[in-house]
Amino acid sequence: MKIKKIQLAIILMFFALQLQAQNNEYPLTLIADSLKENANAIVRLYQIDVAISSQRSMNIKTKRVVSVFNESGLSAIDAFENYDKTTSVKNIEARIINAFGNEIKRIRRKEFKDVSAISGSTLFSDSRYIYLDYTPTQYPFTIIYESEVETSNTAFIPSWFPVQDYLVGVEQSILNVMHPNNLGFKKKEFNFSGFNIQKETDTDTQLSYKATGILAQRQEPYCNVSAIFPKLIMGLEYFNLEGEDGTAKSWKEFGKWYYDEILTGTTQLSPETVSKIKALVGSEIDPIAKAKMIYDYVQKKSRYVSIQVGIGGWKPMLANDVDRLGYGDCKALTNYTRSLLDIVGVPSYNTILYGDTHKRDIVSDFVSMQGNHMILAIPTENDYVWLECTSQDDPFGYQGKFTDDRAVLVIKPTGGEIVHTKIYDDKTNLQNSKGGYSIDEKGNFSGNINIASEGSQYSNKANLENSQPIERETHYKEYWSNINNLKLNKITFSNDKEKVVFVEKVDLNAFNYATVSGTKMIFTLNAYNQFAASVKRIRNRKNPFEIERGYVDIDEVEVVLPLNYTIEFLPSNFELNSKFGDYKTEIIKKDATHLVYKRTLSVNKGSYSNTDYDQYRLFMEQVSRNDNAKIILTKN
Amino acid sequence: MKNRFLITAVLFCLVIFNSNSQDFRLGKVSIEELKEKNHPKDSSAVAAILCKKGKTYFDYDFKKGFVANHEIQIRIKIYKKEGLDWANFEVPYYVGYQNLSDEMVRFSDGITYNIENGSIVKTKLNSEGTFKENVNENWKKATIAMPAVRVGSVIELKYTIKSENLTKFPVFQIQYSVPVNHVEFCSEIPEYFIYKQLLTGYVDVKSDSKLEQTSKTFDNEYRQTSSINYQQIKSTFVADDVPQLEKESYVDNINNYRSSLQYELETTRYPNQPVKDYSQTWDGVVKTIYEDKDFGKELQERLYLLDDLKKIINSNENISDFDKINIVFKFMQSKMNWNGEYGYYTEKGVKKAYLEQTGNVAEINFNLINMLNLAGISAYPVLVSTREHGIPVFPNRAVFNYTIAAVEMNEEKILLDAVNKYTAPNILPLSVLNWKGRLVRQDGTSEEINLVPNKASKQHHNLSVAVAKNGYISGKYLVQKTDYEALIFREREANVQKENYLEKKENEFNGIEINDYTIENKGTDLSKAVVEKFTFASNNHCEMVGGKMFINPLLFFTMEKNPFVQEKRKMPIYFGYPRQEKYNFNFEIPEGYQVESIPKAMRIATDDKMLVFSVNSLFSGNNIQISVTKEINTGMASADFYDGLKEFYQKMIEKQHEKIVLKKI
Repeated sequence: MKIKKIQLAIILMFFALQLQAQNNEYPLTLIADSLKENANAIVRLYQIDVAISSQRSMNIKTKRVVSVFNESGLSAIDAFENYDKTTSVKNIEARIINAFGNEIKRIRRKEFKDVSAISGSTLFSDSRYIYLDYTPTQYPFTIIYESEVETSNTAFIPSWFPVQDYLVGVEQSILNVMHPNNLGFKKKEFNFSGFNIQKETDTDTQLSYKATGILAQRQEPYCNVSAIFPKLIMGLEYFNLEGEDGTAKSWKEFGKWYYDEILTGTTQLSPETVSKIKALVGSEIDPIAKAKMIYDYVQKKSRYVSIQVGIGGWKPMLANDVDRLGYGDCKALTNYTRSLLDIVGVPSYNTILYGDTHKRDIVSDFVSMQGNHMILAIPTENDYVWLECTSQDDPFGYQGKFTDDRAVLVIKPTGGEIVHTKIYDDKTNLQNSKGGYSIDEKGNFSGNINIASEGSQYSNKANLENSQPIERETHYKEYWSNINNLKLNKITFSNDKEKVVFVEKVDLNAFNYATVSGTKMIFTLNAYNQFAASVKRIRNRKNPFEIERGYVDIDEVEVVLPLNYTIEFLPSNFELNSKFGDYKTEIIKKDATHLVYKRTLSVNKGSYSNTDYDQYRLFMEQVSRNDNAKIILTKN
Repeated sequence: MKNRFLITAVLFCLVIFNSNSQDFRLGKVSIEELKEKNHPKDSSAVAAILCKKGKTYFDYDFKKGFVANHEIQIRIKIYKKEGLDWANFEVPYYVGYQNLSDEMVRFSDGITYNIENGSIVKTKLNSEGTFKENVNENWKKATIAMPAVRVGSVIELKYTIKSENLTKFPVFQIQYSVPVNHVEFCSEIPEYFIYKQLLTGYVDVKSDSKLEQTSKTFDNEYRQTSSINYQQIKSTFVADDVPQLEKESYVDNINNYRSSLQYELETTRYPNQPVKDYSQTWDGVVKTIYEDKDFGKELQERLYLLDDLKKIINSNENISDFDKINIVFKFMQSKMNWNGEYGYYTEKGVKKAYLEQTGNVAEINFNLINMLNLAGISAYPVLVSTREHGIPVFPNRAVFNYTIAAVEMNEEKILLDAVNKYTAPNILPLSVLNWKGRLVRQDGTSEEINLVPNKASKQHHNLSVAVAKNGYISGKYLVQKTDYEALIFREREANVQKENYLEKKENEFNGIEINDYTIENKGTDLSKAVVEKFTFASNNHCEMVGGKMFINPLLFFTMEKNPFVQEKRKMPIYFGYPRQEKYNFNFEIPEGYQVESIPKAMRIATDDKMLVFSVNSLFSGNNIQISVTKEINTGMASADFYDGLKEFYQKMIEKQHEKIVLKKI
């Protein structure tokens, strides 16, 4: 029996050792001080092991160890997984470790919450997600999260983001990928420079990266996250999407696959609809004129409802169903419009892109499933007309700020092509204000103004047309927040969808616009268009900044001064030129009581360095200050 | 009488009328309805509910007893594109009962009507437009997308929720964000059940009720058809031309003012059984709540706390009751962690919650109460409704969703909430400052408790400012924030990195530059004031025009916009708690300049001195002193005060823009 006892002792000792080892998991004392600066949490380890065993099978293991210092750091835990018919969560669990490295809680799968993945505008979706809902009992603490997910969807290999959040430091982030050598595995790196990232292995079946010691980043305005945070995207030339095998060697091939396998058979319409559409178009022969009629028909008939079911997430609803039900998501409505155009012999192509007011390109040298939105392209002689089919209001061919100026994938029957959508030139993003106002002896204001908006500025204003009276009032009280006691008398709009110009005509007055003290009267000349959005001062800006869209504002305002007053002080003309834009104001004295105030502000689109930011801020500050220039009058 | 509004808001007007209201039947959409371009009474309406009809009736099942059917029929007209969302419906239903079957929802008669070539075209809703999903373990949701809807369409839909839960019916909404032309609700309730009917909002609703004989057939246990005869109470509610409920700013909770109808079971009186009281008076409500095992019994548990109590309070030392309260409160506040769940019943129980250090609202504050009691301090639970949950007006269990603790000391009550990490004795989370709470005693009696404090929370700002010849200003700043002002600051800023906080502050204060920042009591002693100090510099706060300097006397504290812009107001104005803001400025003017004018002293106040604003100023030599006080002496003001309030703000803003003018000597 002695031997047994020894064995037991050894086992016990071993056990004790193990416990000891467990006792010292990720103690906080091991974190470098530099990482703690500005950090609400620190990712101690983020390891993703992707194992692709075939075109139809991929396994993803995730281990994420995060030390959380306070409530704001909780969002860095990121303990959740999505699942649906083709993706299953095989394992998910978490352990909570206190500051000294001792385990205080273990959370098993059944204690995770399992909910439907519906959010925002989506009406229905059959995908769900499991997430950890943990109430911390002390800060700081460390969470060790582990999961394993299996999917047949090899069209989407998760991207690797070593930095995922602002104000979170990263000790170590590791990516390991194993893949067969015959599926055409590919990858592309973004923004790696400036970060400590090493490629450790890169063979025809394996890839691994390691990032270490990334300091917590602070968020800065006018900054595109996708341009600063490191990212690795991956893809397969031979993949599977919701049960369909596909190939993506070139955009041409990928587009052909998408057209043949996903879009084929979705465009049939009933004979009644066919004859109705033919009757609608009548004898018109110009393809653009025909397209306009059909776009108008779709806008009036349909509404946007997001429904994500199974392959519906990627495959459009049948055109016939959209025709019958009168609703669909972007893919459904785009495909439906294409089917209608097809009836009257106008060719058009579904177009995949990233729909976002921040411009985002389809990565053109990386053939893979990308994008989150779909619009329709109608070819013209050398270009395309782009149709946003989810909108009931957009003018024909107008791209606003959601789909303009970016690389997109046009799906043609012969294959895919990367094309750049319409660029709204700075000079065409125009707001032209013309009007006048008069000030009476008591300092009261009454005036009227015509504001015409074009280009991308059109989209800032066009919504006003359908707004509720209260929203309208709020908008103008915000827009003219410099005018106290503002009273709106008459507001009319004209929306020229042909030329894409939106005109507001507003009649307004305000008590005590001018300050009267003793014999003096003082007021700001530029009443209608003050640059109000002050550009924030950033302490030690680190990142470059970007002005995504330039614009031009032109104002011409006649000012009638009260009788019995003479001008004591008139602001001088002002001009400011910089690489960010140009600004000019001019005040013309027509006679003793009539002035004309002219103002032009143009801002240039562009990418600028971090050190330029303060100059830009000062430029705008000077604009704002001069917009506030005041006139002083004295009573006769 | 600042409470006036509420009484009108919830006044129940029972007017007898003839119920020969317009006859609404699904399927009878007229061509006029379809052709209508705008709502005749509100041309801005994006859609309208032409008619809504609700009916609740009971079926009998020999196994389950009575089962309620809640049937809704609705006809909606879409006028504008923005109204297209009215063609999507979501109906939540409960599946989390312990002893009852899951609720069920059934849709029928869903039809969209359109005009095509002058004739009416119908499109039926079929199963492909109906989706059901599990929201969580307790709730499911049915979603409907009506087909072929466009501007001009009329939609009809009927749905029925079947429920064995007879204690409460789903809320019947009368008022929406679009106009309702006609709305009626009818309930047919067996004589065995007496319900309380609660009608809220400003809308004039007519009602009627009568007793009638009825019989229901059912399959008995031998699958034979039997019938049961009884009397039923038929109640009808009708309202016409209900205007849309419009959003206003400074409102505690818009749903307090929305018209709706609720039913809650008051008593059951089955034949040959004693009458069972569910909830009728506050005492009844409190009794029912207290008798629940997750309430009263949980408040008896205390021995598990003894060891920890001994560690924090040494029984040999002579510690005052007041200190004991503070010690126990701080201990519980830091020990327990809120899991985000509301409620006045415990879920896992106080003991388990204590061991796990996490719990819902009841579990945390019951632990506080239990430990206080164990320490010899009498503490009681106070039932509360949070602001998001609405005003607790009628005696009813469902009006509460939160519980805090109260301790009686020298005839005064100290209110405590250990759920929030930044509260202190008598400082409650803002969402709890909602109307009145109800203190529950062990003997089942209860008493109304005022939650909104009388004492003003303070912000005292002190600035000494030097103005330079070039218009550059610089100076020192100190602010003290007490009570609720301190709580709000702590909640908002406790976790914000200093760098980010200062950046935000610099931008909020029109681009000043902040240095030498220090803060006291940010998270340490929560019953004391937060004190912030810094030095600042700016070239944005002095305008040089024509050889003169113009300076806003309140610098970066100048109020720019009147928050009350709407012309008319229906709902009371919510401020939350009384407060006082004080600003003391000491300006030193540059050499070579002299004072041309400074703002004159003034004092304005609204009726009842609910809001007071005053400015005092004086100068001597190169020194200017300005002191400004703003007081809001109420948590809530009636809508009757709106015009006066708006004018008050206007005058206050104008005064703040009256400048200090300096001229060159």
